[in-house]
Amino acid sequence: MAASPPPVLGRPRLYRVIQGAVFVTMSVVIVLGFLREIPQLAIIEESARSLYFHVPMWFTLMGATLVSAYHSAQYLRTGNIVRDIRAREAARLAIAFGILGLITGMVWARFTWYEGTGKWWNWDPKQSMALVLMLIYGAYFALRSSVESDAMRGRIAAVYNLFAFVTMPFLLYILPNQMASLHPGADGSPALSQSDLAPSMRWIFYPSVLAFFGLFWMMYTQRVRLAVVEWRERASALLTPSR
Amino acid sequence: MTIHPVESAADVITRDTTWTETPMPTAEPDALEKVMTADGKIYVVVAVLLIVWIGIMVYLYRTDQKIDRLERRVDDSISEDR
Repeated sequence: MAASPPPVLGRPRLYRVIQGAVFVTMSVVIVLGFLREIPQLAIIEESARSLYFHVPMWFTLMGATLVSAYHSAQYLRTGNIVRDIRAREAARLAIAFGILGLITGMVWARFTWYEGTGKWWNWDPKQSMALVLMLIYGAYFALRSSVESDAMRGRIAAVYNLFAFVTMPFLLYILPNQMASLHPGADGSPALSQSDLAPSMRWIFYPSVLAFFGLFWMMYTQRVRLAVVEWRERASALLTPSR
Repeated sequence: MTIHPVESAADVITRDTTWTETPMPTAEPDALEKVMTADGKIYVVVAVLLIVWIGIMVYLYRTDQKIDRLERRVDDSISEDR
């Protein structure tokens, strides 16, 4: 257990700069995403614009799991409670973005590849394995709430979190891309590689990914700050003899 | 599951049959499908963006709840100290 409570984080200049950048970038992405001309293809037609909002969900999830795993590793090294808080909040956002990715993917597929079939969920390898990844990260929180002691919970959760992170690339890329799947990128179907994505879409897609990274960072930082204050409050309540 | 370091004829057949076996639109489109596929399916993008927006709002709402809980705790300790 840390001898002194962790310092509060405050709201540094970098945070405010990113906040502004996210607001501007996201606004531009939404406007251009809807208005700019895109190549017309059968089946997906204008819905191809969902690329700007569905795919960044998964990029953000990957970023969030990376941040989470990094802080779990640092927690195991240092035992600093703030590392545990950071790992937890990043994992929470990974799940949030993953759920958004799953739902937006369901809606997109329903009216393109599954048009006329009435199917919302088809156990496509890409979506099933993304769901499995959500369950693996869900278990991280189940595991956390089952351990009483702070230090013990931090260590066990950190080790599990590193395991969960290792499964991520397999469940999102390696395995589904080896199987027959309707999802772009699987089994040689076009997706994001150099020749697949039209250059005009690239210049909206990449800023969109960056904007969602920034948004993740904002949401993550807010929760971490809150959790640190909460931790300090609990610690000071425990140390006050009158209570 | 097909693991193919080198693409053989068998793999190409597997992939091609996967695509041709994909169910073709057969069912009569329901009301929702008619709306969503109108105007070049642009409403799919609207729905996707709306879902992301709702997700962000739900997250903000839950942050608010956490702040509430913390405020109540801080306030309790103040009133007890007095």
